[in-house]
Amino acid sequence: MNRISKSLAAALLAATTLGAAPALAETVLRLDEVPVGELDPGKATDYADSILMFNIYDTLVIPAQGGPGYVPHLAESYEADGNDFVFKLRQDVKFQSGNPLTAEDVVFSFERIKALGQGLSFLFKNVDGAEKVDDTTVRFKLSQPYSPFVASLVRLPIVDKKLVMENLGEGDGEMKDWGQAFLSANGAGTGAYKVVSHNPQEETVMAKNADYFLGVADAAPDTVRFRYGLEAATVRTLIAQGEHDISSQWLPPEVLKSLAADGAQMLKETGGGAFYIKMNTTKPPLDDVNCRLALASAYDYASGLKMVAVTDDVAQGSPATGGVPVGMYGAKPASAAMNRDLEAAKQHLAACKYKPEDFNLEISWIGEVPIEERFALLMQANFTELGIKSEIRKLPWALFTEQVTKPENTPNISQIFANAVTGDPDTLLYPMYHSSAAGTWQSPEYLKDEAVDAALEKGRAETSDEGRQAAYTALNDRLMEIAPSIYAYDRQSIFAASNRVKVPALSDPAKAFGLDGFGFTFRLMEMTGE
Amino acid sequence: MPPVVRLLAKRLGTSLIVLVGVSMLIFTIARVIPGDPARIALGPNATAEQVEALRERLHLDEALPIQYGYFLRDLSRGDLGISLYTNRPVTADIAQFLPATLELIVVAGLMMILIGLPLGVIAARYRGSWADHAVRIFTLLGVSAPSFVWAVILMLIFAFYLPLFPIAGRIADSYAIASVTGFLTIDTLIAGNLAAFGNAAWHIVLPAFALSLSGIGQAARLTRSNMVETYDKPFIEMARSYGFPERRIARRFAFRPSLIPSLTIIGLDFAAMLGNAFLVEAVFAWPGLSRYGVAVILRKDLNAIVGTVLIISAMFLLVNIIVDLLIAFINPRIRYSQRAS
Amino acid sequence: MKRAAYILVRNPLSLTGVILITLVVFGALFADFIAPFPEHRGAVVDFANFNKPPEWPYLFGTDLVGRDLFSRILYAYRISLLLGAVVLAIAVPVGVTIGLVAGYIGGWTEYVLMRITDVFLSIPPLVLAMSMMGLLEPTLTNGMLAVTAMWWPWYTRLVYNLTRSEKEEGYVLAAEVIGASRTHIIFREILPNCVPSIVTKMTLDLGFVILIASSLSFLGLGVQPPTPDLGSMVADGAKYLPDSWWLTVFPGLAILVAVFGFNLLGDALRDILGVDQ
Repeated sequence: MNRISKSLAAALLAATTLGAAPALAETVLRLDEVPVGELDPGKATDYADSILMFNIYDTLVIPAQGGPGYVPHLAESYEADGNDFVFKLRQDVKFQSGNPLTAEDVVFSFERIKALGQGLSFLFKNVDGAEKVDDTTVRFKLSQPYSPFVASLVRLPIVDKKLVMENLGEGDGEMKDWGQAFLSANGAGTGAYKVVSHNPQEETVMAKNADYFLGVADAAPDTVRFRYGLEAATVRTLIAQGEHDISSQWLPPEVLKSLAADGAQMLKETGGGAFYIKMNTTKPPLDDVNCRLALASAYDYASGLKMVAVTDDVAQGSPATGGVPVGMYGAKPASAAMNRDLEAAKQHLAACKYKPEDFNLEISWIGEVPIEERFALLMQANFTELGIKSEIRKLPWALFTEQVTKPENTPNISQIFANAVTGDPDTLLYPMYHSSAAGTWQSPEYLKDEAVDAALEKGRAETSDEGRQAAYTALNDRLMEIAPSIYAYDRQSIFAASNRVKVPALSDPAKAFGLDGFGFTFRLMEMTGE
Repeated sequence: MPPVVRLLAKRLGTSLIVLVGVSMLIFTIARVIPGDPARIALGPNATAEQVEALRERLHLDEALPIQYGYFLRDLSRGDLGISLYTNRPVTADIAQFLPATLELIVVAGLMMILIGLPLGVIAARYRGSWADHAVRIFTLLGVSAPSFVWAVILMLIFAFYLPLFPIAGRIADSYAIASVTGFLTIDTLIAGNLAAFGNAAWHIVLPAFALSLSGIGQAARLTRSNMVETYDKPFIEMARSYGFPERRIARRFAFRPSLIPSLTIIGLDFAAMLGNAFLVEAVFAWPGLSRYGVAVILRKDLNAIVGTVLIISAMFLLVNIIVDLLIAFINPRIRYSQRAS
Repeated sequence: MKRAAYILVRNPLSLTGVILITLVVFGALFADFIAPFPEHRGAVVDFANFNKPPEWPYLFGTDLVGRDLFSRILYAYRISLLLGAVVLAIAVPVGVTIGLVAGYIGGWTEYVLMRITDVFLSIPPLVLAMSMMGLLEPTLTNGMLAVTAMWWPWYTRLVYNLTRSEKEEGYVLAAEVIGASRTHIIFREILPNCVPSIVTKMTLDLGFVILIASSLSFLGLGVQPPTPDLGSMVADGAKYLPDSWWLTVFPGLAILVAVFGFNLLGDALRDILGVDQ
């Protein structure tokens, strides 16, 4: 054997015997999410984007730990002033670039998100503007009373104005591209983690920010590798082989089951959302309320829940009690679970102006969420018992969001996992059921109901807890009466995790946050050194 | 003009015409299908004005030939447009993902030659024996299942049950290798990091083998049938009667003429591999063009679809030109017949 | 005929091919009688028996909503064979006609037709079919359309080459001398001499059409549920490896068996009809 092939053989041998990687002194956390990670905070929408946003950027307030409500974060304090809100900023905060945080950055961040008009900018529709009062004071001017405003600030990441202005890309007008090119590949926040590298389809690598204004505990991971679009089977094996730490919430229950059996821990995020089966109320036969009620009574809630069960005491869902998830204003108690009632279904169907043999329902499911196929099959089987024919159709997410923009293209039945993006019921229910919000992925019902609209408007205008409670109770009752959707189950997200990491926010209810994705604040995680 | 240059010029000319045809075909398919690419690109919360502005920017409201004109104008500047999915230039996206796919295909192609040709030679030399039958069954099985089935089976056996090989990716996270060629097996060697090279090589074995199985089968079968045919020629009889050893006859007289058709097949198989790589990459989470390609197709990302298909076709044509030239160099008869025509 | 039977029986591999294909076709045709759970071809759910490993009466186990995989594979064969037959029924006449015309007439007709063929041949087949499927609605009809679009050029090229050599043969020249029409020469004189090659290729291709169609549905671009489809079964099952291996392995083997069978049969036909490779 000559020298080169000898050393090659040695290298191969070394690679095979050492397994994955040489031991490193620093701690690395590896987790994954669905296909694409959007780094630009003005465009962030889904779970992956939220995780990036919550770690690389900070917001004026954050959700309180272990209870409802919000606490100041980049803000020192805030107060309502009429419809307006005035925020006093902390003075000890520096961006990762070293620039100090000032009121100008807050105003810039707000104006940027409004100007881009993408992502979650719709949350700020009722906000006319943000105004710098002095270097550490900002006033948000609201056009009408809007109590969920403070909650929506968890979706306003504060961007480093100076850094972005130095890196404007090509574009028209004074602000050119608003730094879109720069921010889609770089971080410009104050957050506890900095972007090391970002490839939207492969992975984002982040490192601890030693200068974080609250400090970061030593136990928190030094490096985070956030991977996109891994197959379920890959994640399952990587975790079993000790090469991955936290799975996404999208693993099928069977895979979670196998991982739990292998000794992986199950992290849990409760509340904030539900699985809705949405009916297009503009197209026959589901424009008749009795037909909708028939389907809602015929759906087999218990089997649906059994499908998402992981172990005896862990499941990806809990029984739904109505249109409002348990735990939110206006929700019915957990004991009032929805149940199948075939007799009632038959009566409703008899009252419907369409005959069952004339139906051919189009049941769609989102291609990216394989479990929905099983729900489609369940519905098809359930509805067959009423003599209703149906057709199952798989739709890629992108095509689905396009089709729902026109009522005539919207399928009879769509399946949606929805959550309150700010933790406030308004951000869950208003975009789904208010008549002005019809025709988005959240609102393929095209519901137009005056009572529902009134309750939703009251819910966001009321400032007292009792007032809001009453508004959403009325809303829930009305939603049960007119059944625009089948309330299939309240969602619980389950993540499989290795024992190398502890995540109190996702395992201890006393440390949980009432906002989806906030449990993935890396600085609050602890690497165990195993 | 030397005949080889003339051959090259002729083939390049034809390829260019074909490429224009490909671009028109895929351009038309991509645009006449229902669904508004601007709406899909902007996402669920975009307003009607934003959609209209983007449609205008993409010239979607113009007539099809005019749109094609814009496309050609940009193409002549090396610009394939911006992907609506990643918000980056299509050329940058392709440049990022293509090397991983190419590396996989090149390694699979090498496996195809290094395993397929010897198998064919063995089968031909011992034709009718058990070895011949074994090779025939193996090669038939190789072409009889789609590469994703082989990928899944290989993964199940060699990565799950016997964890001999990694199940996903190109290299372990811990290695940071500067990208020079984009081929990790070469970049690691350039960096002089043998451990990283071993790791990258170790990652590529299973996916490349799954991808090469059908090619191995075809190369082996073709080599066998050509060699068997050559064995029946009088010059082999003559070599035998001169007392040349059987091994030398096999290598020198029977194998060499059989090489040409095998090379042609390899050129054609390159196309099949480019398609099949999509499937194998999906199974092994190989960060190549596949995920990008499937994602942009599902999202109706016009520029990216047209760009990806165009680049893949151009590569296919290029490989076949190279194969033609190789054959012309190997075989004097083709070289001279070119001169005559 | 006797010679054919002799070749088939003498060669164990050819015999295997005949047996495999007979089983596949038989299973597909009589699925209603053979399948233990014929109703499981459609939207049936049985959560009491979901995700079961192979055990009686579930020969190949059950899927994630409790349907018998063996029954579903039989019905999937039915769809696959139908798809293969329809694709070839369209692609072969189209491809053969273009090949004959281009090969016999020559000149500009030949140049234009063959460059168009080259365009289709130079897009990797799977990529072409994927682009079409991704942009069309994923239905069985469109699947057939997409596969057909990528399939005809191969017949054009085969027949074109055959025609070019046949047209120099004595019998064609003789027909030209006595003033036979072009149509007559193309379809009555040349075509019959191409039939053996075409039939052999068709047999092999039935297997490959099944293979390509399953690749398309593997990528989520094929027949829609609840219709059983081998490629989607492999793709959907792959998420549950290695624990629920039967979801992937049996449909994968089912593809292998069918394509392997058609390959063996095609090889045998090649010997019988004396077709060169």
